[in-house]
Amino acid sequence: MIQYFSIILMLIGIFGLLIDRNILKLIVSLNVFEIGLNLFIVSIGFVNNGIAPILTANNSSSNLNFVDPLPQALVLTSIVIGLGITSLGLAFARKIYKEYNTFDLNEMGGNN
Amino acid sequence: MNLQILLIAIPLLLAFLSLLLKKQSNNLLLVAGVMNVAFLTIIQKGTTVIGGFQPPFGITLVVDNYSFMALVVLNILFLTTILMSRNSIEEYGSVLLVAMAGLNGMILTGDIFNLFVFLEITSITAYILASKNNNYKNAFHYLVIGTLGSGLFLFGIALLYGMFGTLNMHDLSIRIADVDSAVIVLPTFMIFIGLAVESKLMPFSSWVKGVLGNADDIVAPLIAGSYAATSLFVFGRLFSQVLVIDSSLKILLLTITVVTLVLGEFAAFSKSKIKEILLFSSIGQAGLVATLFVSGLVLPAVLQLINNVFSKVVLFTITGKIAKDTDTDEIAELRGIFADHKIIGVSFTIASLSLLGLPLFFGFYSKINVMFGLFSLNIYLIPALILFSTIIEGAYFIRMLLNLWNTGEEGEKSKLEYKTDKIVSFSKYKKIGVLVISIVIVLMGIFPSLLLDNLYGDKTLLNENNPEYIFEIKGGM
Amino acid sequence: MDLSLMAILLLIGSFITYFVSRSNKKVGSYLTILITLFALMYVYILKNNIGLTYELFGVITFKVTYLGWYFSIIMATVYFSAAFFNPFWMEKFLYPSQYNLMYLLSFLGTIGLFFSNDLLTIFIFWEITVWTSTFIIPLGKSRKAGVMYFVISSIGSMGLLFTLMLMYNKVGTLEISKVFNMLANEPKLASIVFVMFILSGLTKMGIFPFHIWLPQAHGNAPNTFSPVLSGGLVKMGGFITFLSVGVFPAYEAFKDGLHIAGIPILIYIMMLLGAVSIIVGTLMAIKSEDAKKLLAYSSVANGGYILIGILLADQLGLAGGMMHMLNHAFASAASFLAIAVVAYKTNTTKISELGGMIHKMPVTYTVFLISIISLAGIPPMGGFVSKWLIIQALADKGLLLIAFAAFFGSIGSFLYVFRPLSAVFLGQVAERNENLTPPSNMMRVPMIFLAGLVLYFGVLPRGVLEIIGKIQASVGITPVELNGQAIMAVNGNLDALKVFVIFGFGFVLALLLFLAFKKPRKVDLMDTYTSAEFIYTKELYHYAHDFYAPFERLYGNHPSVEKWADQISYKVKEVGDLVNKVFFNFNPSLSILWITVLIVIIYLGGVII
Repeated sequence: MIQYFSIILMLIGIFGLLIDRNILKLIVSLNVFEIGLNLFIVSIGFVNNGIAPILTANNSSSNLNFVDPLPQALVLTSIVIGLGITSLGLAFARKIYKEYNTFDLNEMGGNN
Repeated sequence: MNLQILLIAIPLLLAFLSLLLKKQSNNLLLVAGVMNVAFLTIIQKGTTVIGGFQPPFGITLVVDNYSFMALVVLNILFLTTILMSRNSIEEYGSVLLVAMAGLNGMILTGDIFNLFVFLEITSITAYILASKNNNYKNAFHYLVIGTLGSGLFLFGIALLYGMFGTLNMHDLSIRIADVDSAVIVLPTFMIFIGLAVESKLMPFSSWVKGVLGNADDIVAPLIAGSYAATSLFVFGRLFSQVLVIDSSLKILLLTITVVTLVLGEFAAFSKSKIKEILLFSSIGQAGLVATLFVSGLVLPAVLQLINNVFSKVVLFTITGKIAKDTDTDEIAELRGIFADHKIIGVSFTIASLSLLGLPLFFGFYSKINVMFGLFSLNIYLIPALILFSTIIEGAYFIRMLLNLWNTGEEGEKSKLEYKTDKIVSFSKYKKIGVLVISIVIVLMGIFPSLLLDNLYGDKTLLNENNPEYIFEIKGGM
Repeated sequence: MDLSLMAILLLIGSFITYFVSRSNKKVGSYLTILITLFALMYVYILKNNIGLTYELFGVITFKVTYLGWYFSIIMATVYFSAAFFNPFWMEKFLYPSQYNLMYLLSFLGTIGLFFSNDLLTIFIFWEITVWTSTFIIPLGKSRKAGVMYFVISSIGSMGLLFTLMLMYNKVGTLEISKVFNMLANEPKLASIVFVMFILSGLTKMGIFPFHIWLPQAHGNAPNTFSPVLSGGLVKMGGFITFLSVGVFPAYEAFKDGLHIAGIPILIYIMMLLGAVSIIVGTLMAIKSEDAKKLLAYSSVANGGYILIGILLADQLGLAGGMMHMLNHAFASAASFLAIAVVAYKTNTTKISELGGMIHKMPVTYTVFLISIISLAGIPPMGGFVSKWLIIQALADKGLLLIAFAAFFGSIGSFLYVFRPLSAVFLGQVAERNENLTPPSNMMRVPMIFLAGLVLYFGVLPRGVLEIIGKIQASVGITPVELNGQAIMAVNGNLDALKVFVIFGFGFVLALLLFLAFKKPRKVDLMDTYTSAEFIYTKELYHYAHDFYAPFERLYGNHPSVEKWADQISYKVKEVGDLVNKVFFNFNPSLSILWITVLIVIIYLGGVII
């Protein structure tokens, strides 16, 4: 279930990339896409009736039914990378605004 | 001695240092470049385990014949580019250090998610470099497409992990070999897209025109040289070893790469600005190399790749400087510009002729290898298309060369008076650099065994043995 | 004498010449003369080493054969003669040292080509020659000519490369004498390989429809390199053509296929292309206004003769084609050199601006006369012997259509031969050329040498025909039969010496009559009958103006292959522009659209498959 939802999120993100002309909206769509992607990755690790993969006082053996922790580690990395890209994109957006005074790609003109 | 990790760690460390010592960042960059090349002379082949987790659980760094060749090419290219265009680096020294770390990491790593991380690091540095000289709109375009591509790449990795449960490349290759390839169609394609954006395959390469078309004499050779080399080497590693696919998906991927080759050359023919011609030629060449990797011909692909990136570094460095000094790279305005810069002109000519694959240059050796390889697999259509696109390539390169050397309108004798009045000045680093690379191209064209013997052992011209992959799993499950 | 050693010496020699020319242009050009002379003598001595093989750099293999020796001697003679003109052009070039370097490197390429022993070596030297000569052409008048030359040569090179790869895959060796043997039993594969292989010969010789580069390149190249291009490099195509019927078992492989008048259909089509080249070349030459372009079109026509002769591959036709190559090389080189002298002195090659050069340079006139007579195929020059052989062979085989083209070419050549002779050399001196000094002896020597060769081979063709006979024997064709100085053929014999003697009598008789009678009165250009009108413009009444106007009007509106070539290049450009617009837009959304479309296709494809 979650997986379908995450794929729909990714598709919404791509759809946004296709339709939007405003730079800020493009960045937002990229973020939506990334959120969907991260959700998908976490959902891959899901095991039915699994518990959180943390050794606590109650769950101290490593033979129990854990949810796969590896995708969760992947997602952490991916979130950070997404943060970096978003901040870079916003920096570019600011510079573009300074030069063209608009965020709309169509108003900025054609090929150079 | 664990030198492999130092190839990544030292540039990274120096990058952090350079944030503190801003004034010295260029010198630190030079130090890192020289140290990397120096390490390569004493590095040993084998795998290194990172973090104590044995493979296939942990991350490993692998140096085998293939990645050693890639490392040599990358580090020498990077160092040469920096040395030639030192004056253009300005404040981007720390970015270049991170880029060096990321590029080396992409080649060295043996874990596919680690590859993704390094790919992202490298891409971010590429976006920043692309925005040099107020080129923000095109850099943004690059950012959007690149992020989408990397996202799909990660999606593919996730699917692979869901299917096979491992992220180690060697382990994956063993497990995929046991499975029918219809199962891995979707992840393969996602990974293909992710790499295709960086490797400039069409239709994912719309960013190339804006970025390379406005790049100066350090960004352009980096992106068309070091970055292109690394992404194609990684492409080769993944597609010839890990994701071995059978005919139906292969035909689709081959269609994309071959279409890239042909349409790239067509697009180059229609252009009249030098940088645009060169970047479309890069796109076409990337298509050719990718075609060879997907067909399984690794050695010809590597040779063609090396020829392409070295020539492009020379060509883009020269063009970047011309564009920087004269504000234009239209051929019609630059007629006869080599009349005052014969060394630069000769190097430019040698690099272009090597790209065309003419004898006396290294490009001929790689072209012959490519053709022999394709014919030995009994594929006839692709060589015919390659030869056809070579004719078009010949037309636009010769047109460019003849106009840059000779002056005068059609029907007039080529005389010194009609030369363009644009003035360019080349630093002596540039002159020495491009001349040395050109001489190496000519030497390797006449004595190609010099290169290959040192790296691979005895390889004769018409023998197309694949280089051996030494991939070991130490420890176990 | 080691051939590989000579190749390396030439290579080093060309680089030394380059560096010497950087410091002193004239000395560099003298070096080219010396080096070509050295190579000429070396190749001549190689005659004693027929049959030996040599190796270079592990990939290149050479073998000394009569075929290679014959071609190399022709080439070396042409390069050596043209080299004498190099010192005069050194000040006129933008890059004189580059010129000298490329001159010698292309020479190396041709020598290496002719002595090759395997297809890869042929390909390597072919490409070297093409790219080195490409850099010389734009030093003249046109950049576009260089590009056209390179592109059309590339088409040929690609055919050669394809053949090479295909045969290596099937046979495992590339040695010339062995590689094609298996094709004798496989007609389908043989047809493809034949077309690909001979394509390189056709493009290099300038056979229709690949002839468009010849007038551009030969006409616009620097005046001192045109003789080499026309007299020399075009013969590379002849070499490949010879291989395609001599070594390639063309007649055997196609013996079960369709035949027209006893010739397999593919070969007949090639001969038809040769015939069309003769007609097109002749007609375009008649209409040319520029002396060099006229000679270039004449090369197209003569290329057609060579192609037809060689493709006949029998006793007379092959001998005729091979000998025509030698005759055309020397005659064409000599005539281009003569025009080069005229151009050096007057700075133009447009026929309408010249005239009366016989008064200023009589030796040049004689050389031009001799070579032009040979190009037209009139006795007693060499061109007559070779054309006679070809036409004998055509008549013998009964190929009426092609024989018609050959006759048309012969007769038409009288017309185009006469035009530059009378318009450039005879008639009145144009006003702008009144004060010209005679050309120096260094220019006269090679011209006299070449003209002498032209005359010699016309009078005493035995020497050449013996060598050609040996070449024919080496590929299994009956050698041409000689008897003293006469050539034996089915429909009659030709004794060139007797013809020359009779001609000599006639010449002496006419000379005596000329000296005995009164001399003509010389009149000025404007001293002409005008029926009471006044005439003002001197140029319109000049002898050379609108020379063949009535005849040209007959075929004025002809379809032009140049226009097709331009259109093709335009279409390619349009496709490139389309790619640019569709795939490389500044807006990322378009690109993402393509990515989505691809993903959808893959997904649906994956579901379906």
